[in-house]
Amino acid sequence: MSHDFLQMHLKAVISCLLIFLYKVHTTKAGQFFSSGHTNNWAVLVCTSRFWFNYRHVANTLSVYRSVKRLGIPDSHIVLMLADDMACNYRNPKPATVFSHKNMELNVYGDDVEVDYRGYEVTVENFLRVLTGRLPPSTPRSKRLLSDDRSNILIYLTGHGGNGFLKFQDSEEISNMELADAFEQMWQKRRYNELLFIIDTCQGASMYERFYSPNLMALASSQVGEDSLSHQPDLAIGVHLMDKYTFYLLEFLEEVHPASQANMNDLFKVCPQSQCVSTPGHRTDLFQRDPGSVLITDFFGSVRKVEITKDTINLTSPVEPPIQRSGSGDIQIESLTYVDQLPVAEIIHQKPKQKDWHPPDGFILGLWTLILLVFFQTYGIKHLKHIF
Amino acid sequence: MAAPLTLLLIVAVTIRAVLFRSSLAELISERVEVVSPLNAWKRVVEGLALLDLGVSPYSGDVFHETPLMIYLFHFTVDYAEIVFMVSPYFVDCLSCLLASLDRAKIFRKQKYALESDRYPADCLELLRSPKEMFYIPLKVAMFYLLNPFTILSCVAKSTCGLNNAIIALFIFCTLKGSALLSGILLALATYQSIYPLTLFAPALLFFLQRLYIPVNLRRSSFWCFTLQYAFIYVGSLVVITGLSFFLLGSWDFIPSVYGFIFSVPDLTPNIGLFWYFFAEMFEHFRLFFICVFQINVFFYTIPLSIKLKEHPVFLIFMQIAIISIFKSYPTVGDVALYMAFLPAWSHLYRFLRNIFLVSCVLLACSALFPVLWHLWIYAGSANSNFYYAITLLFNFGQTFLIIRPLTRRRKHPGGFDNEVSCFKSSVWKSSLKS
Repeated sequence: MSHDFLQMHLKAVISCLLIFLYKVHTTKAGQFFSSGHTNNWAVLVCTSRFWFNYRHVANTLSVYRSVKRLGIPDSHIVLMLADDMACNYRNPKPATVFSHKNMELNVYGDDVEVDYRGYEVTVENFLRVLTGRLPPSTPRSKRLLSDDRSNILIYLTGHGGNGFLKFQDSEEISNMELADAFEQMWQKRRYNELLFIIDTCQGASMYERFYSPNLMALASSQVGEDSLSHQPDLAIGVHLMDKYTFYLLEFLEEVHPASQANMNDLFKVCPQSQCVSTPGHRTDLFQRDPGSVLITDFFGSVRKVEITKDTINLTSPVEPPIQRSGSGDIQIESLTYVDQLPVAEIIHQKPKQKDWHPPDGFILGLWTLILLVFFQTYGIKHLKHIF
Repeated sequence: MAAPLTLLLIVAVTIRAVLFRSSLAELISERVEVVSPLNAWKRVVEGLALLDLGVSPYSGDVFHETPLMIYLFHFTVDYAEIVFMVSPYFVDCLSCLLASLDRAKIFRKQKYALESDRYPADCLELLRSPKEMFYIPLKVAMFYLLNPFTILSCVAKSTCGLNNAIIALFIFCTLKGSALLSGILLALATYQSIYPLTLFAPALLFFLQRLYIPVNLRRSSFWCFTLQYAFIYVGSLVVITGLSFFLLGSWDFIPSVYGFIFSVPDLTPNIGLFWYFFAEMFEHFRLFFICVFQINVFFYTIPLSIKLKEHPVFLIFMQIAIISIFKSYPTVGDVALYMAFLPAWSHLYRFLRNIFLVSCVLLACSALFPVLWHLWIYAGSANSNFYYAITLLFNFGQTFLIIRPLTRRRKHPGGFDNEVSCFKSSVWKSSLKS
């Protein structure tokens, strides 16, 4: 009897403790449950070729480096580079791609894995990677195997214009195509949240047509502005980086897997005084408040782990979940996916398409007129032959 | 006459049937010289499919046929091949008949003139012997049925064949003398594509000549008949347009059909003169040049009517030729229509100095069209200038083809009572000799 009493008492204490702990860490718990993603993916695309577009490859490789450093493995990164700068015969330092003057930072490294190289970087392949419509023979490293709990980072860089981005100097992708691709991804439940960063001229035009939920977008310049490159290197002979990505890289170098830096800090990267162009961002399609979104939600692969030294009895009934109070946290309204399989319609046969028929009045009118003309021309006397 | 005609019909049917069943049919129905956005069969099928889906066929820039065509094709879309095979025979039989009518008139006049000894000796070579003229209807039929242009147009199932049939019916009714039917059919032809409007003047002149009403602006009989005919024409046009409104319940077809013909928004290359010019036109000047180009089609009516007021049949031929050269979306089917009438004026051939040149130009251009198209679009080694050069040359050849008979006709009218001009020609010839 006392043993049962003790057990009950212990259970009560533990539950009170848990409730107390939960209440203390309400904001943290809120954040813990709020992001909703379980895995991270990154699609990093450099769309321009030729040696003088060295900086675009360096841009993409800088973001690649940061993303890998913060925890996303190569198996979850789709890296598309339109040209090979490291082994380009004009590179005075072969097997390197530098992002800083004075050869401070070699973003090529020893373990870079390029998934789409050279002429494989096309609009078609990019869209196929995003939507998942790849031929069955495509290897896993070239696929974006995301699910509805994936947070995806998409980074594009190259030469762009108002509403388009140029691929390989021969084709272009329009903002509408991109928006439709993202909508396909949403409909096929291929992402939980998506962060889209673009560093091109007039980059803001590429995200103005998005219409799917849970998208956040950043661009290095507004419509009508050019994104400028940062610094030429006299030894290599080309510009090494673009301004926006240079400051983005600087910012990301400060971020570590446990950092609490959030999106509002990212929006402040490279103001106009440093970048000359005005970076833009778009958050109206995003459900959460950007201030509560961690950088590592997209750039890192941070697993949500809570370490506890308490023993938790898994056989005891689970406490009912805490009702989150609205203090400081934005209520997340759950977004339902489109009802993709309306069973009721499928079970019943589709109604047969009604063929169009001309209206009766028309037929009547037309044939009356024809008969009138006929009798006018040939006279009434023919009537007696007919009847 | 019946036997050779039947043989001709059988041959023509065989050729078309063979081509319909072969793989060339799809190839031909995509050629830009044979189909235009106005009369492509693909677009008709598309429009009817849209109608079945409950959408107006004129939404989007795909369908440019008139509602009466919708009504016609709605029932015959499965038997399209038969419809298109029948329509050339329409044209052919009618042209046959009208050539024979023409011939009868010419015979009468000639006989009369001969008997009254009116023609000077030089003009004898212009007179057509009955034997020669016996074969003209057959020649006309042959020129139309076996013309490669007609065959191509028929195999491509372009509705140009139906438009030609309506115009041929109109000419037939005019020559028969039935003003009512002629007016109605002219209204129908104008309703199909606006350009047959210019045929109003020659038809009117023909009727006036037939009824012996002098073309004098002060005579009330002239105005009486003109108003009657105009009333029939305009009235039937209004009735047909109203009927079309009742078919689909909306006026969508007016901007889609007539707006399309006039404002030429589609600049797909064809054998006409509009596309290249308007592909390079700045927006600022577009309206002005549209007006210029469209007026060009209608402009020749008045001077030609004044000049040729005694030869309305020839005027009809001239007008059809001018329409098919200067219209906004010509195809080879339009060219075939006036070419079919060339044998009717075969007596002028010996006076055409450039027959060889003109026919070589036309043949060469017809052969070069697909070649340069392939070079431009597929091989990439030519550009639109090459194709347009051939278009220009083709139209130039056609213009030459029709202008020469006109000038020769003026000088050697042969057949109608124009002994004055015949006299003038003999004077001219004698002056040359001296």
